[in-house]
Amino acid sequence: MITRRAAAQLIASAAAVAAMGTAGAARAANQVLKVGVNLSLTGADAHSAKLILDGAQLAFDEANKSNAVPGYTFEVVSFDDATATAGQYDPVQAATNARKMVSDKQMIAAIGPQMSGSGKAMAPILSQGDLATITPASTNPDITDPKFAQQYRPAGKPIYFRTVTTDAFQGPNMANFLADKLHVKTVYILDDSGAYGVGMADAFQRQAEKDGIKVLGRDRLDPKAADYTAVLTKIKSLHPDALYYGGVGQAGVKLAKQAYDIIPNVIKAGGDGMDTPEMLTAAGFPAAEGWYVTIASPHLTDSTKAENFVKAFKAKFGEAPDDYAITAYDAGLVIINAVKRLVAEHKPVNHSTVREAIQNSQTPTIQGVVAFDQNGDIKDRTVSVFQIRKDPSKPLDDMEAQFHYVGVAPSA
Amino acid sequence: MTFSDLLLQQAINGLSLGAMYALLALGFTLVYGILELINFAHFNVFMIGSFIAMGTLQSFGLSGQDVILTGLPLVGVLVAAFAATMLGSGVLGMAIERLSLRPLRNVSGPAAMITTIGVSYILFNIVLLTLGADSKNFPNPLPPMRWHLGGAVVELRQLLIWAVAVVLMGGLWLFVQRSKLGKAMRATAQDPEAARMMGVEVDRVILTAFFLGSALAGAGGMIFGLYYNFTSFIIGFTAGLRAFTAAVLGGIGNVPGAMIGGILIGLIESYGGQFIAASWADVIIFSILVAVLVFRPSGLLGRLAPTKS
Amino acid sequence: MSWRNAIPSTGPAALGRFVAFPAWIRPAWRRHLLTGIVALAALLFPLYHNNDADIDSLANAYAFATLALGLNIVVGFAGLLDLGYAAFFAIGAYTYGILNSFQLQPAWSDAWLPLQTLGFVAKMAGESGGDVVHFTLSFWLALPLAAIIAAISGILFGAPTLRLRGDYLAIVTLGFGEIVPIVFRNASGLTNGAAGLNGIAAPSVFGHSFGVNATPYYYVAIALVALLVFISARLRDSRVGRAWMAIREDEIAAGAMGVNRTRYKLLAFAIGAAFAGMTGVFYVAKLQTATPDMFGFPVSVMILVMVVFGGIGSIWGVVVGAMFLQLLQSWWLQDLTSWLNAAGNAIGNAWLAHIDLVPSIELIFGIILVFMMLFRRQGLIPAYRAPAALTYEQQNATVQRNQGAIRLSGLGGTTPSGEIALAAKGVTVRFGGLVALNAVGIEVPQGGVVAVIGPNGSGKSTLFNVMTGLVPADSGSIRFHGEEILGLPDHAILTKGIARTFQNIRLFPNLSIMQNVLIGQHARLRTGAIAAVLHPPWSRREEIAARTWVTEILSIFGNRLVPRIDQAVNGLSYANRRRTEIARALASRPKLLLLDEPTAGMNPAETLELAEQIKGLKQLGLTILLIEHKLDVVTSLADTVYVLDHGEVIAKGRPEEVRRNEEVLRAYLGRNTQAAHAGGVAEAAHVA
Repeated sequence: MITRRAAAQLIASAAAVAAMGTAGAARAANQVLKVGVNLSLTGADAHSAKLILDGAQLAFDEANKSNAVPGYTFEVVSFDDATATAGQYDPVQAATNARKMVSDKQMIAAIGPQMSGSGKAMAPILSQGDLATITPASTNPDITDPKFAQQYRPAGKPIYFRTVTTDAFQGPNMANFLADKLHVKTVYILDDSGAYGVGMADAFQRQAEKDGIKVLGRDRLDPKAADYTAVLTKIKSLHPDALYYGGVGQAGVKLAKQAYDIIPNVIKAGGDGMDTPEMLTAAGFPAAEGWYVTIASPHLTDSTKAENFVKAFKAKFGEAPDDYAITAYDAGLVIINAVKRLVAEHKPVNHSTVREAIQNSQTPTIQGVVAFDQNGDIKDRTVSVFQIRKDPSKPLDDMEAQFHYVGVAPSA
Repeated sequence: MTFSDLLLQQAINGLSLGAMYALLALGFTLVYGILELINFAHFNVFMIGSFIAMGTLQSFGLSGQDVILTGLPLVGVLVAAFAATMLGSGVLGMAIERLSLRPLRNVSGPAAMITTIGVSYILFNIVLLTLGADSKNFPNPLPPMRWHLGGAVVELRQLLIWAVAVVLMGGLWLFVQRSKLGKAMRATAQDPEAARMMGVEVDRVILTAFFLGSALAGAGGMIFGLYYNFTSFIIGFTAGLRAFTAAVLGGIGNVPGAMIGGILIGLIESYGGQFIAASWADVIIFSILVAVLVFRPSGLLGRLAPTKS
Repeated sequence: MSWRNAIPSTGPAALGRFVAFPAWIRPAWRRHLLTGIVALAALLFPLYHNNDADIDSLANAYAFATLALGLNIVVGFAGLLDLGYAAFFAIGAYTYGILNSFQLQPAWSDAWLPLQTLGFVAKMAGESGGDVVHFTLSFWLALPLAAIIAAISGILFGAPTLRLRGDYLAIVTLGFGEIVPIVFRNASGLTNGAAGLNGIAAPSVFGHSFGVNATPYYYVAIALVALLVFISARLRDSRVGRAWMAIREDEIAAGAMGVNRTRYKLLAFAIGAAFAGMTGVFYVAKLQTATPDMFGFPVSVMILVMVVFGGIGSIWGVVVGAMFLQLLQSWWLQDLTSWLNAAGNAIGNAWLAHIDLVPSIELIFGIILVFMMLFRRQGLIPAYRAPAALTYEQQNATVQRNQGAIRLSGLGGTTPSGEIALAAKGVTVRFGGLVALNAVGIEVPQGGVVAVIGPNGSGKSTLFNVMTGLVPADSGSIRFHGEEILGLPDHAILTKGIARTFQNIRLFPNLSIMQNVLIGQHARLRTGAIAAVLHPPWSRREEIAARTWVTEILSIFGNRLVPRIDQAVNGLSYANRRRTEIARALASRPKLLLLDEPTAGMNPAETLELAEQIKGLKQLGLTILLIEHKLDVVTSLADTVYVLDHGEVIAKGRPEEVRRNEEVLRAYLGRNTQAAHAGGVAEAAHVA
């Protein structure tokens, strides 16, 4: 089996060289740097994973094209952590992928994972291999919590960086926003059973109670189920001012549709899981109308950068990016920037130096300047609030046009 | 909203859900009654039914919630879409039987059931790989009409679900009771050997059962789309599992049992969500199932056909 | 599932068919050689293939092999369809995850001191001041502990549900499999809910932690596979395994042969669950986290797929099946994709150059599943391989009918002849409105042969069913050597010394003659699950004696059965199946033998032969109760004849008396005539 696997790789690389042919000859001197992207590319989360992968791919393609780091070519290697066995993301496969990444000396950094469950399995292995990963999507605070440092970074140095804030900020800031700006007195909280959604809703609930918002109830949606009318009818009977939903679009879209029918006049809010094009394509108007969503980054005053990104993304992949495509793109920029600095300073490019350079990053990205704290969390913890309002003059599936910036959510 | 309004509203919710489960449960029960086979492919025939319905509605120029129809055009479009969906799903069901299950007809043990799991995976992944993982906005031409019963609300689409479910189930009941093929079906369920000796074409009966069951599942899929205004490759599993539970609860192999089981599961789900928590819905449903089976192993209504030894 | 033939394929011998050995290696050695080569290759793998990720993939594949082995006991051996097996996997995983992490932190008190001394807990400073308990259960202790906890869960869950029919059991287990992850998700205080457990410690040996290096886990996984293969094989080839297979093949016959179905089903569930529990511990220890999402329905289905793919009931089959499917996902599909892409690039085919098979993995699984079921149901490595066909000489050998007296050690009664062995009084059975038996009374004297005759539907078989505990009586009493047996379960009645055959033969069709007759001895042997695995000398001796006893019994039938001893009974002739069933009943060393139409379907020569053999059994002192239509057989064998009609005894007496009884004539011929003569009865009865 070894010989077969080796043979496969040999054939593949030989063919790749052949295919590159003369076109590749000009760059033949370039050293290839691999970036591993670990996502749930098959199964239930495949679609959002694809957007993230495309976002990262775009960053490196642009860097290669503009020769951002002279002498070096970036190659994105994607790893799927979803298995048929689990039917979705599988931490076990994520751990195996982490081992693959660590054992590849050409691989200088990683992007991912999508799911915190995978992140927990990968972090110890990446730490031993001193390989940094930047997650554009996993928001569970445990992994970067110094309390669990012994488990998630046994080698000591932070290796798990994020271009998103953790659940510890989005939920609470939205609670503050509801209390201060919308004068919400009572709320009902739902989550979608996933690690992200539950974490978000928990953090929201803690802050809401501190803010004096009365939590009328808390329940959990099964994302595979279709019918949420029972719990929505219950919510209707409790007359809350607001509904907060922690979770992603899979359950969120159904929730939005049914909530519009049953509790049309209740304020509805969610996190960045609801900052998804599916709110426009699958839920659509009028169901999506009025929802407040947060994103874990400042609103872009210089929107040309974002517009260019969206334009390039659409041109290349034929669909609109979502929020995590942006954070993935930004993660790519951080890695490119780190390598660039190393090369400029004539330092070697390897696992440890790249990790160090990422730690000291001050990279301008779409979401602003990205820098990390001593645990790997993004320093900028601005949470921006958007509201979905129908603007018939613009395309109804265009997030840029239909999600309207409201302001910064007050931090805790 | 008073407490009694709440009870009424949850009953309306539960009945709508239950009507859908019942349609799906009938397919399980028809096939089980004849072949003693748990047909896991049924889960995804339902899912594909909703996609066929979506395609048909879109071919009438409907998309999203933008186009609302009333009167004759509405009825025409709905009837045409139901017909196309049921035909498409029914043929799919027949194809599944003919290609993957008939060769296993006389094989004892779990082979046939495992085959249906395989077919289910195939259907599921074909949709996933070709149409993508994102939720689809299901066209809804129904006008947003609603009526107030005290504090509770009944919507047009709920009335539509009930009407369709009653018509289809009534039709099925008449078919099974009155028609020659229906009688042959019941005879085969009781004793396939004897039925064969009495000149019943068992192959044809089984194909018919698959056609009918799958057509009903397809109708259920379309109802699902109209009710929830979305569809996705993933909708088959939870709905299918609950529908199967409904069939067992009512007494598998038993047509009225499937209807009653479906409605009960729907009501349990809505009242459970109200008084316990939605997060425990599956736990409640399966606990009830276990309790029923332990104390009344043949389900609430029992099997109409005696258990084969 | 139909198995054509019935020899358990032992060891990776089955693999041997895929490997060409040089002729000089003796067939008997090939098996051991192959096992050795495979084991050596597996053991050395981390040394010659120094790739952490591949070692890790292989360790995961081993973990699934152990899960498949566990499910194989439930589905393959005992025939119970379990669609929620991952629940036990989850229970094992969370047992270790909770007992060796920071999840639970109760306040410290001295009550914890004993556990601290044992190293199960440690004292640590809590976050909000004050000392708290840190659970630190060792991995090595967690393995057996999780096995026990999972087994107990299996029993608790199985007890109320195992009497359900197969497909109901499937759906209930499916429900259980859905519930367990939901409970773990919702009980977030215990499990940290959806976010997953934190801070699970890696196992350590003598103070050296495994850390994140895949190699030590790899060896633990190999050891686990080896252990569970060993346990599975020992169980399969023991009294326990035979009892499971009997249940799988025919529950009613299994009960009639003394197998306590509930107990053995629970045992299968418990052992299967224990395997999964241990694997769960291994799995989270390697991963150092666990989320409820890891144990959903797809996992249960995938393990089932592995079992089916490898070969239901086949130990090496399920190991190979599990590993193949796991490695297909983690290795080969990527390789295949890169080959295809390379080929596409080489020939300039853009579609082939960009095809990616990895997202299609589930589709491929579905296709594999359907194709296996349609074209190779017995799996990659079937559980049974074909025994050598009979030689021409054996097939055409002169029938030896075992002339002379039958000698069997330890069969027959010891109490003096003439005492009443079985006394049924006033036995009444109603099926709804139908009275199947109405106050029937029958006495069978010790050492005698009593026949029950009567038209079809007169209640003869119902009477047997009541006597053997298959049908409950509404009233009456049946005493066997003075002891009431009415109301006892079927297996207990066999244990008391009443064995039976069935009117329409209920053998275990896919098992061999040897296995069938061995199952007949179930109640007379003592080997339980533990003895089956450990093989103490007494158990070994017991097994040898049991097999000797089988050949001794089969010799009653001369050379009819002995040459075919390893053949599956479903391939035997009708008469031979009848003989096997009688042999199976005799194997339980009964005091009373109930024969339900033993000569039905036999030609006159065969009938005569069997009648003589039954007579031989009578001479041994065995008490026999016989249902028979052939009156010549009845006349030649029976001391006393009872005639049943419409559930009532209408006549009783010596055979010649009964043949002349008017009421009997009426019952048989349906008319009241004094002119009918005895021959008429015989003729009518023969037709019936």
